[in-house]
Amino acid sequence: MKWIIVTGDSKGLGKEIVKQILSDSEYGVIGISRSNEQSVLELIDMYPKRFKHLSFDLEKVMDIKELYTKHIRKIGPIYGLVNNSALAYDDIISNLNVESLERMFKVNVFSSMHLTKYAIRDMLLNKIEGSIVHISSVSAHTGYKGLSMYAATKGAMEAFSKNTAREWGSKGIRSNCVVPGFMETSMSASLSNEQKDRIYKRTSMKKETDVGSVASSVVFLLSDKSRSITGTVIHVDNGTI
Amino acid sequence: MTRKVAMIINEMLEESGLEKVDNVNLSMSLRDDFNLDSLMLAELTVRLEDEFGVDIFEDGIVTTFGEVIEKLERK
Repeated sequence: MKWIIVTGDSKGLGKEIVKQILSDSEYGVIGISRSNEQSVLELIDMYPKRFKHLSFDLEKVMDIKELYTKHIRKIGPIYGLVNNSALAYDDIISNLNVESLERMFKVNVFSSMHLTKYAIRDMLLNKIEGSIVHISSVSAHTGYKGLSMYAATKGAMEAFSKNTAREWGSKGIRSNCVVPGFMETSMSASLSNEQKDRIYKRTSMKKETDVGSVASSVVFLLSDKSRSITGTVIHVDNGTI
Repeated sequence: MTRKVAMIINEMLEESGLEKVDNVNLSMSLRDDFNLDSLMLAELTVRLEDEFGVDIFEDGIVTTFGEVIEKLERK
């Protein structure tokens, strides 16, 4: 079984990514999120052998080593990692709150990097040419009022990914980012319809980004079909300008 | 333990098409005498962790074969 770690498996894009990965019987998914098993019961029922859920708060960066050694490692060899979990702390810069900012960087950046560390180590041990995919955001490329701090976490991960690709390419380990536009998920739920309309008007296709299209791009980057693609980003954003 | 670690290093050297090291001593440098580069050292780390449950690079750099043995024996 080819195991893929997916963070933020309980809702939105993460859940869609898990479903699409599991539609191929070659793969198993280790889903990680704060949520308990109730939120992913549907997936556990559908794929009792190929889906494992680990309840873990990604704010606890220092506990990731134990999460890997005591749980993830015992499930099976890791072929892929999807860093999808993210906190969105949105505010204008003059209101910056250090605690909120630190919490967001822990989840979006430090934990993602730490999981990448253990995914690479697992791939090295098992001689697996694996694939790492980070979920970035269009906000790292096009500015939006109130998203500077969130966008900074995504920009950090894009730089990390490019350098991961360079560092580990000789071992066949790949690293890429998918850059979604605004989707109709809980992360954008706090936006008013007017705000959403304004955002969608900035896209070529004048509408929200389709979650399924983003997920299938992630699955493509995990698969062997993308074996020559590393150190890059795929924009799935309805042509944001 | 010394023999086991030397065996793991030699396995890695062989897999990479490099010459094995027959006479191992504790003062030998991992980089200069065993010819391990940073990626090979990373691989050695995970192999040793798998075998002994110790991450030799967790709390600082190790440069010699003897330092590796010392870290493994300490835990």
